[in-house]
Amino acid sequence: MQQFTVHKIGPEINIAGVDLSFTNASLFMVISASLIILLLFFGSKEKKIIPSKIQLIAEMFYTFVAKMISDTAGSKAKPYFPFIFSLFMFVLFCNMVGMLPYSFTVTSHIIVTLIMALFIFMAVTVIGFIKHGFKYLSIFVPSGVPAVLLPLITIIEIISYLSRPVSLSVRLFANMMAGHTMLKVFGGFVVSLGILGGWLPLSFSVALTGLEILVAFLQAYVFAILTCIYLNDALNLHH
Amino acid sequence: MKSFLSLLLALTALNTNLYSAEAGMPQLDPKYWASQAFWLILVFVILYISLSKFYLPKIKSNLDNRENKIKEDLENANKFKEQSEAKLKEYDLILDKAKKEVNKIHFDSKTALDKDIQSKKEIIEKEIEKEILKAQKEISEIKKNSISSIQNISENITADIIEKISGDKLNESSVKAAVEETSKKNLSKYL
Repeated sequence: MQQFTVHKIGPEINIAGVDLSFTNASLFMVISASLIILLLFFGSKEKKIIPSKIQLIAEMFYTFVAKMISDTAGSKAKPYFPFIFSLFMFVLFCNMVGMLPYSFTVTSHIIVTLIMALFIFMAVTVIGFIKHGFKYLSIFVPSGVPAVLLPLITIIEIISYLSRPVSLSVRLFANMMAGHTMLKVFGGFVVSLGILGGWLPLSFSVALTGLEILVAFLQAYVFAILTCIYLNDALNLHH
Repeated sequence: MKSFLSLLLALTALNTNLYSAEAGMPQLDPKYWASQAFWLILVFVILYISLSKFYLPKIKSNLDNRENKIKEDLENANKFKEQSEAKLKEYDLILDKAKKEVNKIHFDSKTALDKDIQSKKEIIEKEIEKEILKAQKEISEIKKNSISSIQNISENITADIIEKISGDKLNESSVKAAVEETSKKNLSKYL
């Protein structure tokens, strides 16, 4: 579990009695964000009709996220494109940078994912109330349900709505932590079985690394697409 | 398989023992929660602002530019295609016209030439006929002349021969009559 420990880098920063020191988690957040900005900087620098490789990558990300949003949330979600794009890229790059040896996985910390999920939850709720007023509460009352079941369904809907930030944050955090822990465990097997028996867990490790890269992408995608779906619920009220 | 699983379990126990000193989840240690939250919000806000203000509009304009360019090019291509098709039609029309004209000219010149040839032929044939008639006349005259001259010569020769052989001079009219008789018999063979 040593790979998940947070430690201070540089001097202690203490604002109003709260420890806000720069840590290795902060460092890898900065690294991930810088990588995104570098990619987009070089990807948008040249305005070629036939794109260069890096421009192609940046534009691929752009069209990928744009398509995801328009598919799930429709054209009304266009103003939120920069937010969802930043969210997707940030989670993706944090996950991917975390796959490098000796690095730190920002998204494997529940506090980080919980803050993102809570922000999304609150933002979506506020957007829903701004767009629809109190009619937004009709999201809890699905149409076409028998009157007998309606109170029960409404309670279930409210619970599922309120558990959104928990499920969203725990999904990402648990996936990242479990993957890295599993890699660590198999790495430990390689060491403890030595040169004779270590080959089997080593091959497992290699396969798991591939799987973890897939999971890193998939979880970023799931995080972004769930945000889109929640946004869709708030923008297009049709239950 | 079972033995492998038990081996795995034993090794997991060994591993957890090895790392027991650092057991527990650092994620649940609230010591740096505030710091992580603060830095996350800071970094994400900076990322969001720089992306939404600078880079995403740039990429969007790039993509739009490309789309417009492609649309424009396609439109231009269609326009040029239509133009070339119209030109092709025009060309075909001109070609058809020219072909008709060529046929007409060919026909006209042929008929004119035929007429010309016909008239010239007639003239030449008339001339030839005239020439032939003239030649025939000349030939018949020459024949007549030659017959009388042959008779004269043969009379003289006969008179001479008779004179030389017999030493007498015969009456001219009797010689003439004899020659005429023989010549009437024989000359018709040659003339």
